[in-house]
Amino acid sequence: MSTEMMVHLEGVMKRFGAMTALRGIDLQIKRGHCLGIFGPNGAGKTTLLRILATLIRPSAGTIYIAGRDAVREAEKVRPLLGVLSHRTFLYGHLTACENLRFYGRMFGVKKLTERITEVLQVVGLEANSYQLVRTYSRGMQQRLAIARTILHRPALLLLDEPYTGLDQHATGILQELLLQLRSESCTIIMSTHDLHRGLNLCDEIAIQCRGKIVYSSTSLGVDMQGLEELYNTYVE
Amino acid sequence: MQMMFASKGRTLHAVIVYFSMLFAMFFVFICAPNEKIQGIVQKIFYFHVSSAITMFFAFFIVFVASIMYLWKRSDWWDAVAFSAAEIGVVFCTLVLITGPIWGRPIWGTWWSWDPTLTLTLVLWLIYVAYLMLRIDIHDPKRARFAAVLGIIGFVDVLLIRWSVEKWRTLHPKPVLIQEGGTTGLTSTMLWIFMFCLGAFLLLFFYLLRERTSITQSRHALEVLRQEIDDLLAR
Amino acid sequence: MSSSKIFIQQVFALLAKDLKTEWRTREIFTSMFVFTVLVVVVFNFAIGADTELIRQVASGVVWVALLFATVLGLQRAGHMESEEDSLQGVLLALHDRSALFVAKMVAQMLYLLGVVVCTLPLCSIWFRIDFTACIGAFGIVFVLGILGLSIVGTLFSIMVLHTRAHEVMLPILFLPVSIPLTIAAVYATAQLIAGKGLKDIADYLALLSVFDIIFFMLSIMVFDYIVEG
Repeated sequence: MSTEMMVHLEGVMKRFGAMTALRGIDLQIKRGHCLGIFGPNGAGKTTLLRILATLIRPSAGTIYIAGRDAVREAEKVRPLLGVLSHRTFLYGHLTACENLRFYGRMFGVKKLTERITEVLQVVGLEANSYQLVRTYSRGMQQRLAIARTILHRPALLLLDEPYTGLDQHATGILQELLLQLRSESCTIIMSTHDLHRGLNLCDEIAIQCRGKIVYSSTSLGVDMQGLEELYNTYVE
Repeated sequence: MQMMFASKGRTLHAVIVYFSMLFAMFFVFICAPNEKIQGIVQKIFYFHVSSAITMFFAFFIVFVASIMYLWKRSDWWDAVAFSAAEIGVVFCTLVLITGPIWGRPIWGTWWSWDPTLTLTLVLWLIYVAYLMLRIDIHDPKRARFAAVLGIIGFVDVLLIRWSVEKWRTLHPKPVLIQEGGTTGLTSTMLWIFMFCLGAFLLLFFYLLRERTSITQSRHALEVLRQEIDDLLAR
Repeated sequence: MSSSKIFIQQVFALLAKDLKTEWRTREIFTSMFVFTVLVVVVFNFAIGADTELIRQVASGVVWVALLFATVLGLQRAGHMESEEDSLQGVLLALHDRSALFVAKMVAQMLYLLGVVVCTLPLCSIWFRIDFTACIGAFGIVFVLGILGLSIVGTLFSIMVLHTRAHEVMLPILFLPVSIPLTIAAVYATAQLIAGKGLKDIADYLALLSVFDIIFFMLSIMVFDYIVEG
């Protein structure tokens, strides 16, 4: 398995009882690239990301992340992943610092205290780090979730509609952060409705519909209008 | 394995079950000698103990099928586990009904917390919980939880039996007879009992076969229905 | 870092997080303790004023109260975990998923121990039982019993988190499966109250230990299958 490929999916299927969410997904993403997955609700984007995050197992197919089988060696793959989703995965009765300290200890982050200060600075929350998370506004909670995601310096970021519900401030921070991470060769997979931001950030685009990738290419030479046309063509 | 349950031989199986149950009843009611002390009521013993043994066998199949399901993730094993549990609960209920019917004239009470009967009651509770967990069949998450419960439930059997035995020593025993058996089985009775047990087991396998195939068909139907819905929605 | 070191580090991290949260809110422990006391008091009224009779059933009353307190505590703990789906976040960070099981089980044990330590003096007064007479023996029975309750309870509580009628399913699953434990614990305690010694309850202790060991091993083996999404 070439180590140039960060992510390699072949024939991935997922059935939930009678319902088939993914009908054979093939995907390859090089290290350091950013892939944007666009698609309507119910296309299976969240399912795909959850499978990549090793939270659920595929019904069929193979998944390799950084050369490792993500199903059989899931525990070796997990430390490489940073997952950002709708839910923040944070504990309301702990402070921001305590939340990050907890995740830092779980991931075995070295020099934890400095790293916590660093990420809090990036998301602009150092001033509030000793407040309980349940007193945070929604925007602040999301920023802290971003901090949690990058705390352990993951090699692969999985973002499930990260811009949805973010306020202006948080959106700006996230955009800057993602651009910076991309320049540091972090691989990013993002599912989004936001065609504009997605296009800005991503090297490759894919359109997912009804559990299959119906279109994929690089984003070079594709502009907003082009993407909209593609979207309308392929999404029935 | 799945081919074994195919429709070929189903009719034959049904016919064999029908006749063996018929013969079993004939043997029990006509041929079996009346037991000395208990009289005709004792004849329930044939059905009661046969049901009990079939029930344990059913739960053992749930145990094995659950392990196989977690290992192979095949829907077929899940269907087998679920069907075996359902049928097991039915036989379990039979044991709990025939027990008191037998007990009333013998012990003088409907229920005497006899170790095996108590064990059966606890198993009934556990496997009914199993069925409640399975309201949504073929939801893979539910199936996994149920498989875990199927394994736990069976492992618990020995522990329950042991603890109930201990607990039992603190309660007065019924007056006349030791439970679980009679004052002794003649060889005719033993032979008839084995036949009856055989008939029950054949019945169990037939029911298991039918129920599993119904479950599989239902699942296939659901999948088709989903596909049609999907197509129509386009 | 070796696997077992990571395992222990993660168990401690999880445990510290749970205990810290509990310390801030004191929800779980308080509700368990108050509930246990209530059950004991209500039983007292239900059984009547005969002191000798109450002495005889004291053991049963205490253990029934603990059984239900366990269910209550687990439900509250599960509720808090599902608030921001933090369980998913934890699963992402776990190397060996059974670390989660061990941490939750230990936390539940600590809460139950706290409840027992606070409730026994009250029971001592109300039931006129001298627990200090052989406190070591009582200690062993309670620890083994509580361990068993925590093991089985934690296993099922995580299982029912995603089912529909989860509040009802937990006791329905938990109570029948833990019957051997209940029987052994109740009668061991009753024997001790009646003045017997450790030798006399040896077989109950054996049952408790076997139950704990078997279920602990079973839980570790099947836990992965339960938390998978």
